[in-house]
Amino acid sequence: MEKGEYNKVTKYIVKLFKERGDMKKLIMLAMVCILGFSISACGKKDKEDNHFVFATWAAGTELNELNQIVDKVNEQANGEYVIEVQSIPSDYYVKISTQIAGKRSPDFFWMTQELISKYAELGAIADLTNQLEASTRLNADHYYEGVLASATYEGKYWGLPWIANPLMVYYNKTMFDNLGIEAPSVTDDWTWSEFIDVARELNGKQNYKGESIYGTVVDGWPNIETFIWAGGGDIIDKDGKTILLDTQESLKGVSYLQTMIQEKLTPKYSEVASLGSNNVWFEKQRVGMFIGGLQDNFEYKVSQMDEKDQFEIGYAPMPVADDGTAWSFDWTASTVMKKDLEGNSLAYKALEDLTLAFFEWKVAAPVKGNVENVAVVAPLKEPALETIAYTLNNARSANYIPEWSDINDKLWYNLYVKLLNDATFDYESEMKTIADYAREKISTRK
Amino acid sequence: MKKQRVGFLFILPWLIGLILFTLLPMIAAAYISLTDWSIVGDAHFIGFENYKNIFKSPEFYKSLWITVRYAILAVPLIIITSLSMAVMLDRGHKGVSVFRVIYYMPAIVSGVAVAIVFKWILDPNFGLINSVLAIFNIQGPDWLYDPDWVLPSYLVMAVWGAGGSILTYLAALKDIPQDLYGAAMIDGANTFQKVKFVTVPLMTPIIFYNLILGIIGAFRKFTDAYVLGGAGKEGNFIMVHLYEEAFSNYNMGYATAIAWILFAIILTLTIIVNATKKYWVHTE
Amino acid sequence: MSSQKVKRARKKQSVGMQRFRKFLWYFVAIAGSFIMLLPFFWMISTSLKVENDIFSVPIKWFPSEITFDNFVRAFEVVPIFKYMKNTLVIAGGKIIGEVFVSALVAYGFSRFKFKGRNFLFMVLLATMMLPYEVTMIPTFIVWSELGLVDSYVPLILPAYFGSASFIFFLKMYFETFPVSYEESALLDGAKYRQIFTKIFLPLSKPALVTIALWAFMGTWNDLLGQLIYINSTDKLTIQLGLASFSSMTGEVLWGPLMAASFVALVPIIALLLYAQKYFVEGVKMSGIKG
Repeated sequence: MEKGEYNKVTKYIVKLFKERGDMKKLIMLAMVCILGFSISACGKKDKEDNHFVFATWAAGTELNELNQIVDKVNEQANGEYVIEVQSIPSDYYVKISTQIAGKRSPDFFWMTQELISKYAELGAIADLTNQLEASTRLNADHYYEGVLASATYEGKYWGLPWIANPLMVYYNKTMFDNLGIEAPSVTDDWTWSEFIDVARELNGKQNYKGESIYGTVVDGWPNIETFIWAGGGDIIDKDGKTILLDTQESLKGVSYLQTMIQEKLTPKYSEVASLGSNNVWFEKQRVGMFIGGLQDNFEYKVSQMDEKDQFEIGYAPMPVADDGTAWSFDWTASTVMKKDLEGNSLAYKALEDLTLAFFEWKVAAPVKGNVENVAVVAPLKEPALETIAYTLNNARSANYIPEWSDINDKLWYNLYVKLLNDATFDYESEMKTIADYAREKISTRK
Repeated sequence: MKKQRVGFLFILPWLIGLILFTLLPMIAAAYISLTDWSIVGDAHFIGFENYKNIFKSPEFYKSLWITVRYAILAVPLIIITSLSMAVMLDRGHKGVSVFRVIYYMPAIVSGVAVAIVFKWILDPNFGLINSVLAIFNIQGPDWLYDPDWVLPSYLVMAVWGAGGSILTYLAALKDIPQDLYGAAMIDGANTFQKVKFVTVPLMTPIIFYNLILGIIGAFRKFTDAYVLGGAGKEGNFIMVHLYEEAFSNYNMGYATAIAWILFAIILTLTIIVNATKKYWVHTE
Repeated sequence: MSSQKVKRARKKQSVGMQRFRKFLWYFVAIAGSFIMLLPFFWMISTSLKVENDIFSVPIKWFPSEITFDNFVRAFEVVPIFKYMKNTLVIAGGKIIGEVFVSALVAYGFSRFKFKGRNFLFMVLLATMMLPYEVTMIPTFIVWSELGLVDSYVPLILPAYFGSASFIFFLKMYFETFPVSYEESALLDGAKYRQIFTKIFLPLSKPALVTIALWAFMGTWNDLLGQLIYINSTDKLTIQLGLASFSSMTGEVLWGPLMAASFVALVPIIALLLYAQKYFVEGVKMSGIKG
């Protein structure tokens, strides 16, 4: 509306009030409001072809950083296309799915690895295989294999991973030195039994800085996949159909988890949240080791502490599984594209530019030969570089399938939580039950 | 005849709104419950398959039982607490207006904020309640971490938030003619009798309102339960189950069918309560 | 002689008794206040703490040193005042309509007998029973077809057709009014419209203020509705702002979050304090009615 129109409306309202009775005034006012809305709703033009909306869960400070990145990308595109950021600070997938249902899907949006197979199967996101394979700037060979696998479903690529966060072991080097415990090596393999032995040793030293300490903290994190892999097992095979959850290897892996809970090498489940969250136990030097993502910013937090509370952080790779594999569970987010844009080369170019820009933003970029950049983005991470390089090479996620959320629900509530609350819980038979449940779910896939 | 038409005119705005904004989505929801719609994919008509599956699902029965149990305890508890608060805050003592504001405060914060704060209050080791109990050498329970204490935890939260309905009672208490109390006083009634024979009967329309809304609210309990959960999945109220089916598992058809079953349960209860209305609700 | 003594004693006792009861009243009221205010105290206390104090063992009721950094950071993370202003626009846009139309409809339901009234009233109650979560997407599709997504219209316009729970409350409230007023007014030749505006509306000020307060809080605390319909960052609302205090790795900035939550509460508390005087006003009214 023009300014003149506003004045007219105001005048009309004033006139209305002068002339009419009480009741009518209010009704009129309501009608004027409704009218106002309808007018304001008009004049919306359709979005142009080179204008793309990009939805993100970044909010607050991270949103400001992201906006700067996107501004730069837009600048470099020089009018060829424009990307507009849409922040979804809460209930991200509720909003994304609602928008897709209403045919208002954002053109690009971030998606966590667990959901990619689901959205791909339901035909909500575009298949990027051809373009990714043809690209010289960013193709499958550039990515770490295990990371790209998280955006792969049925042999096709459905998203461009932009961030990887595989697990490694952080330990309190100062504590280890003070207590005379031998620290693990930066890159040499160590086994899960050795990990548990170190935890036992830490647990044995009851008093450190006036507090009782634990070996590590387990409260649902590290996730169940980590333990299942520890025995050389898996939940679902690479083929996306075979369930391996009840194999001997998988059962063996969960026995490591059971041991740690039974021997109280971790604070009690009900106790963990009382410090806020699991990582705080490491920061407050109540546990000696913490299995965390390489993105965790302990270094920064320690640097902010009072001098007397500071400590030196050491790094070690994830322990090696019984079958000799040294997988590090990795959480990866990809940027996906809406289905309607499949094959659209301008959209793919914008997506690719955006993804390449993200690589400079956070640790760690999921592309090879980029490890040094970690120290540029997060200088405090420099001492961890060797371990990070090792970890990225071994990073992988679970083999996600569309039925994952149902299966994962059972793994969490019926297995992990029960074990956390009661170390004597018969996890073996529960894993068999869940495996059967998963097989049935897969068999009814359409 | 004319009076009929006038009455209808008064409710017309709502009726128009109902048709414009409510009816269409409800019809859509009725259809969705007969499909396998996954929100981001296409919907296929599958008849009453969802309903059949729900009635076979142990998880549904468990969350329904959690919800029913909560409703049976929480609804009367909230009404009694808030009515007592309102009667207490209806006195002419100095400073009563300040207390009114204070008792209403819990209702002004959103569900998420309440949940976060209660996470602190109910923490087994360092939470406020157990810290206070520890002063008296009492070992407090594990609250949300002990399956048996999940329901009591939610009841504590419900009672704390009971002040939310005191405004409804206070608004109505103001309308109780003072001479009725005067008459009761002459008859030698004590405070309790005054409340029982004068206040409560005149408040019944508002109690009725709070009862119906309490039932709806208890069956639709969601936000704090979704944020806090509870050991042994005891915090898995029916709405939490529905939400996870809809937005985590993308079984929107199935979730919508649960919603209609929930709808039928609440509607039945409301009709029953409504039928008893003439026996206990005092109207002019 | 002795009977006088008894009388005096009784009088003395009853004064003592009254005092005791007054004391008891204050005791209970204050004890209850502590419980009610505890979470707010905790929120404020946390917002003034340095990071190391927030989760500490044993629990720290008061900050060991007071800092306002959390407030400063809160405003850096999120433009709180802008989001509050946006929320005010929505709340202000809907309150009058919601309260007035709800009263209108409630009056129709409570004072007139017309065909299908009970059925329609049941329908009204029924609309509150189907969870919003399952009608949310169909409703979104309708607004999206109308091209009104990313505007406040879907959040405001429906209020002008009344709100089911408000209508229900006001209906029950109107039912506590004696029929005698309108009967005498009707005999005096008043129209129904006049009875509504001249008798029902003024007499129900406490109830109307109550639902106005609810309407405001409903908007202020709504997350899901606003989340679905608002896309542009500069149109975001206060609850969405508060949701922005966790990073993508799930880490929550507790201090700034509590500081922002406290700032966000101030308008509601102010409104509550302002509205509170209308409840007292109700007392004067009861004189006319009795």
